[in-house]
Amino acid sequence: MSISNTKDLLGQLSQLERTVSEFSFEELNAAEAKELKSSFNTFRSSLERHIYAPKTDHVVSNKNEGSVTENQDTSEKQFIAHVSHEIRTPLNSIIGYANLLKEEKLTRGQHKKVDAIQFASNTLLKLINEVLEYSKLSSGNNNFETVEFNLHSLLNDVMFLCETLVMDRKIELLIDIDENVPKIIKGDPSKLSQILLNLLGNSVKFVHQGFIKLEVFTKQRINNECLIEFSVADTGIGISKEKIKTIFKGYTQAEDDTSKKYGGTGLGLTITKEIIGRLNGEIEIDSTIDSGTTVRFRMPYAIASPTTVPSKSLKKVTKNDNSGLLVGTEILVFEDNKMNEHLIVEQLTKWGCTVHADVDLDKGLYLLSSRKIDLILMDLKMPGQNGFEVSKAIRNHKNSNVNSVPIIAFSADFTEQDSKDCKEIGINDFLLKPYTLDDLMSTIVKNKKLNTEHQDFASILQKPMIEPKETTVIDLNHLMKDCFGEIDMLNELVKLFKLNAIEFIGNVKIHLKTENLKEIALSAHKLKAGFAMIKADGMRKLIVELESSCKTNQFETVKELYELFLNDYPLLEENLNSELEIMNKK
Amino acid sequence: MGKSVLLADDDQLLASLLNFRLKKGGYVVHHSANGKEVKEYLKNKMPDIIVSDIMMPYCSGIELIDYVRNELKSKTPIIIISSAGNEQNVLTAFELGANDFITKPVSPTELLVRIAREISK
Repeated sequence: MSISNTKDLLGQLSQLERTVSEFSFEELNAAEAKELKSSFNTFRSSLERHIYAPKTDHVVSNKNEGSVTENQDTSEKQFIAHVSHEIRTPLNSIIGYANLLKEEKLTRGQHKKVDAIQFASNTLLKLINEVLEYSKLSSGNNNFETVEFNLHSLLNDVMFLCETLVMDRKIELLIDIDENVPKIIKGDPSKLSQILLNLLGNSVKFVHQGFIKLEVFTKQRINNECLIEFSVADTGIGISKEKIKTIFKGYTQAEDDTSKKYGGTGLGLTITKEIIGRLNGEIEIDSTIDSGTTVRFRMPYAIASPTTVPSKSLKKVTKNDNSGLLVGTEILVFEDNKMNEHLIVEQLTKWGCTVHADVDLDKGLYLLSSRKIDLILMDLKMPGQNGFEVSKAIRNHKNSNVNSVPIIAFSADFTEQDSKDCKEIGINDFLLKPYTLDDLMSTIVKNKKLNTEHQDFASILQKPMIEPKETTVIDLNHLMKDCFGEIDMLNELVKLFKLNAIEFIGNVKIHLKTENLKEIALSAHKLKAGFAMIKADGMRKLIVELESSCKTNQFETVKELYELFLNDYPLLEENLNSELEIMNKK
Repeated sequence: MGKSVLLADDDQLLASLLNFRLKKGGYVVHHSANGKEVKEYLKNKMPDIIVSDIMMPYCSGIELIDYVRNELKSKTPIIIISSAGNEQNVLTAFELGANDFITKPVSPTELLVRIAREISK
């Protein structure tokens, strides 16, 4: 992955940011719009250069370096207010096209460059999301919740996530929770995870070797109120004294070239401080150049006594809890790694599932034939037993109650060969580690055997593969007639259709994060015409349903339908491509 | 020279198809995906007919009708493209002076018939 490409892109973004900050979009006149357009074109052509002119030297413009922090107030507000559509739309196309490009026959060098584009675009997307988060906070639109949650398991989850970040690097990840830290407290668990992940994530970014240590202890305790101190210490590059003073200001990073070297908007700490402030906590930084940084923050929490906590409120550890969907689901887990097993069992139990774990093949087969298991989670690469073999044995079992249970495989790496093997064996779906809880949830919901609440789409999914899935059917004959049989026009329209679909995928992904159902509804609405044109009635129905779920505020349903869309769209596009090919040959 | 059509629709896909068919039908088409731009355009040049989507960025189709009828004082026929389930919008559009409407998914052939009918009135 080429860092210089990324730097170049980030340079372009900064320039873009400066251009955008100079005017307000409501008052956009033709000349300004033109300038904005040309910025985007520069940005785009820079991307194109990486693909088409591999030998071009990337010259990073240093001219305006550092001026991002100038006119901070105005630039922040204007940039934030208008960052959404205008930037994300082309960005989504870039990401989408890079994906498409990767499917073509590329040389290794070209492949690497496309990788760089994807990396850079994803970085940009992350930056934009950070900016949005910040604007949400500054405008006070961010929701805070107060629920009882298990602090210890939250800390463990956070550390687990960090472990996946530092993999393959010489960094030791340490955690020290003092005995006096209460287990169950009352507050906002998702915000606390966000703060910790932000700080730990920063450390991971800036530490090249040594350790990152999270320490937690109770600083003060009066009756049921306590002040908990968290500290994240690392052996990273450190921050100079002068820079510490300004580091909490938006768009500031320690050194002017930090963003060039390490990426990021410089908003992470601002967001963190803002959240801590809202929760009546405080934060401070101690740092020495070249030897490391320690960030401490203290937060007031109410202590809940463990005995009075109903198991229900424990479920609310994650904000997007949608446990209702899985209550009563019986799941069999094959996983050798004890820590992973523990995590997954705990999570599934929280969601109301009945879980069978710690099983070998024989015990598993016994459970499958004696109980009504809805789903199997299978680690493919277990040291003790081979997940492929276990899956094969289940699929080859003579009892149809056993061999028909859906299997979801998970694995930390997944090669093309693995995917072929999975298909051959009859594994239904897979999860790539590290996966998020949302991934886990949606994959289970999608695949589990009988889903009474979502039977409509479950039944579509359960249809045998011999019959094409309703959601992937298309017919171009009608559109061809509308084009008076002109194949060039048809090709053009199909190209636009694909572009729309990719934009939709990107837009919804972003708006799901901010739970902006209004924007999602709008995106879905705009998509309908295209799916009607190619007579993709099944998928169009799904989109209509998605749009109406937005309007009735059913966030979880929207998410599931989007997952279904993501799942089936590639198949639909495949059908589209092959039908178009046939028409082109005629 | 053929009759002129202003096509206001921010759905690039649908607009491309309609643009293609209108040109084939002998019309001179100006397409815009932005309501604000449409207003600017209309200040200087009034086409023989306006075809506009209801949902447009910066200026909705409804606002556009109001603008053409009440500010520009023009009687140029306007056909509105609306989505199913937006009946209220269609009623408002008619009240403000729209001449006809067509519901998505739009059949280009039907739209051409409706355009021809409005222009010949």
